[in-house]
Amino acid sequence: MSSHYEAPIREPLIIGEKSYHDISVDVGAPILGRANRSWYIAFSIALVAFLWGIGCIIYTVSTGIGVWGLNKTIGWAWDITNFVWWVGIGHAGTLISAILLLFRQKWRMAINRSAEAMTIFAVIQAGLFPIIHMGRPWLAYWVLPIPNQFGSLWVNFNSPLLWDVFAISTYLSISLVFWYTGLLPDFAMIRDRTTKPFQKKIYSLLSFGWSGRVKDWQRFEEVSLVLAGLATPLVLSVHTIVSFDFATSVVPGWHSTIFPPYFVAGAIFSGFAMVQTLLIIMRKVSNLENYITIQHIELMNKVILLTGGIVTVAYLTEYFIGWYSGQSYENYTYLSFGAATGPYWWAFVMLITCNLIVPLSLWVKKLRRNIMWTFMVALIINIGMWFERFNIIVIDLTKDRLTSSWAMFQPTFVDIGTFIGTIGFFFVLFLLYARTFPVIAQAEVKTILKSSGEMYKKRRAEHPNEPISHVDLDPTAEEPASNIQGSYFTSTDKKEEITTTDTIKDASKDDKINSLLSNVGTFDPKSQEADNLKKINGIGPVMERKLHELGIYTFEQVSKMTNLEYDMLDTITGEFPGRAKRDDWAGQAKVLKKN
Amino acid sequence: MNAIQKIGILFGLLLLIASCADKGNRNYQYMPNMYVPVGYEAYGEADILPRGQEAQLPAPNTIMRGWMPYEFENTPEGKELAKANTSPLVATDSVQIAENHANGSQLYTIYCAICHGDKGDGQGYLVQREKILGVPSYADPARNITEGDVFHTIQYGLNAMGSYAAQLDTKEMWQVSEYVMTLKQDLTK
Repeated sequence: MSSHYEAPIREPLIIGEKSYHDISVDVGAPILGRANRSWYIAFSIALVAFLWGIGCIIYTVSTGIGVWGLNKTIGWAWDITNFVWWVGIGHAGTLISAILLLFRQKWRMAINRSAEAMTIFAVIQAGLFPIIHMGRPWLAYWVLPIPNQFGSLWVNFNSPLLWDVFAISTYLSISLVFWYTGLLPDFAMIRDRTTKPFQKKIYSLLSFGWSGRVKDWQRFEEVSLVLAGLATPLVLSVHTIVSFDFATSVVPGWHSTIFPPYFVAGAIFSGFAMVQTLLIIMRKVSNLENYITIQHIELMNKVILLTGGIVTVAYLTEYFIGWYSGQSYENYTYLSFGAATGPYWWAFVMLITCNLIVPLSLWVKKLRRNIMWTFMVALIINIGMWFERFNIIVIDLTKDRLTSSWAMFQPTFVDIGTFIGTIGFFFVLFLLYARTFPVIAQAEVKTILKSSGEMYKKRRAEHPNEPISHVDLDPTAEEPASNIQGSYFTSTDKKEEITTTDTIKDASKDDKINSLLSNVGTFDPKSQEADNLKKINGIGPVMERKLHELGIYTFEQVSKMTNLEYDMLDTITGEFPGRAKRDDWAGQAKVLKKN
Repeated sequence: MNAIQKIGILFGLLLLIASCADKGNRNYQYMPNMYVPVGYEAYGEADILPRGQEAQLPAPNTIMRGWMPYEFENTPEGKELAKANTSPLVATDSVQIAENHANGSQLYTIYCAICHGDKGDGQGYLVQREKILGVPSYADPARNITEGDVFHTIQYGLNAMGSYAAQLDTKEMWQVSEYVMTLKQDLTK
């Protein structure tokens, strides 16, 4: 059994003396157990907010968009702000499960399930806004190119709002499939662990009869990889398309080529902040501190730091280009001197503070590994990223090209209520998820237990030479005597070969050796150089050592061997009889000698 | 439940839904947002207006732009006076003459020929089928018709014939009158 090499520099990803069984128990506990009071309290609050949001949505749709604070100048405000905000939040999940999978980041395994759940729930929230901000949402199906009785009237494919339809719906469906395939082994685990007949029935249905055979796993891995490969460009394109809603317009401040990458970076930034917010609570509530460790939090903070840095560069670029372009209109964009001193100065300050200044604190390792501080920063980033979208949309619209159409925006309670409702809906879904779904991909975490588990890492550090079996020792396999050392698989390590063959030199063989050397010629270490005899097919390190012992070092010597010498060699070494003849060492050596 | 039964149930449901459409009534509408007019449409009903209809009579003795009232009364004297009236259509070239003729011919075929016959000989379809009787020929020497006379008759009607002023405007009535005179010429030739 070859020993696993894992750099000792890496921190363990699973803390505690966990076994496979412990993981199943820990992950299954929230599902198999009962909800506690705090869950019910949190759920009730979320549900109330959700119902209030539904009320606001029904009121909007039945009364009209006029109940919002929009005016003729500012046709988009909280609706699209919230839409972009939610879509952005949804990006971290796919990033974690897809991009980090492609980069083989093992730390994703403890968080990808929840991050993807967050993606899906956030995209659902986002998906509400394009519908409810419509004047006639009941005709929303017209955005789909369906053959119809209006002379087959179709949609115009030139609008980014139509691309949004395709982007969001594709994103949701791919994420859902990706998430669900990952859930199959975990649902099967719950199915097999539960004793309640109803639960058993439900999880049997959900797990699609997963039996965990080798072929299933093989295909499972392939599907995961393919979906990850598909989801990665999707993540980047979805928020790019969302950014096109603005970037393809002629509005000063919107019309900007930096938007696609900048929006994507912002999406990952805000998405990770939301993952932090949720996971810091969840690890506590669901007792998953051993799986979602400080290390995970720190790594996510590093991603936040990176994407926050990208966003900061984008801010500076926008600010600079606003000035550099020399366009007078650019002075009223969301990142301009005019915005900083205008009526929305406070939104500008919020944006800069929350997204640029506060995340800088994460450069400090102490703060990066401080859970409370991380939680605070994550919340602040979520607020800040909301303001980023608000600023882009509203500030740029308030002061457009014609001064006669300048206006201000004032949200109504319906604007706010709808937003609160989506937050409530999000948490309703997330809380339900946390009680019914395996929140950690236990199948994946089990694959890293022995490489990144704390106990195993410690054991490797203490006994660096002792190979750690990746297979559970099967006690029945310890019989018969050949497995006496307790190794399940018999080893074919080369090290053992070398140790088993000892000296071949003894006085009785001296004359044989001498006659052999007289036939093939002797080696003079002063004038000659030894060849790498291992190049000859059939000579391994062991055989080379033996030949050296005899005094054979060069291809020249080997090439002179004939059947007679082969036999002599066999009698001297006593191993691999006939090997040299079969492999035609002399012939090989002749060829090698010429080269 | 086997597949055939399921398909049968589905088919039955479809039939049930399809049976909701009633050819004797207007069909169901999905979100009729701008289907019903907000403004008043010409022939619509309106409870708030006299006689419950949106088409109302103009005030008497008012003259709309581009139209003049007919100066002769609907009396035998008026008819006598109208005989001397002539067509105001001034045809200066053959194109205009042909146009007036063509228009008059078309309008005559639509409004008049059903009784008076295509040739004006009083042998229209309705006469041939004896739905009505007593339609005279334009060539009837007892009725020495003139352009102004024909116009007057179209304007007010005469005996069993009703007024055609609602169907034709002034210019069209003169075109028909001119065409009737050509028919009379052809008949007496």
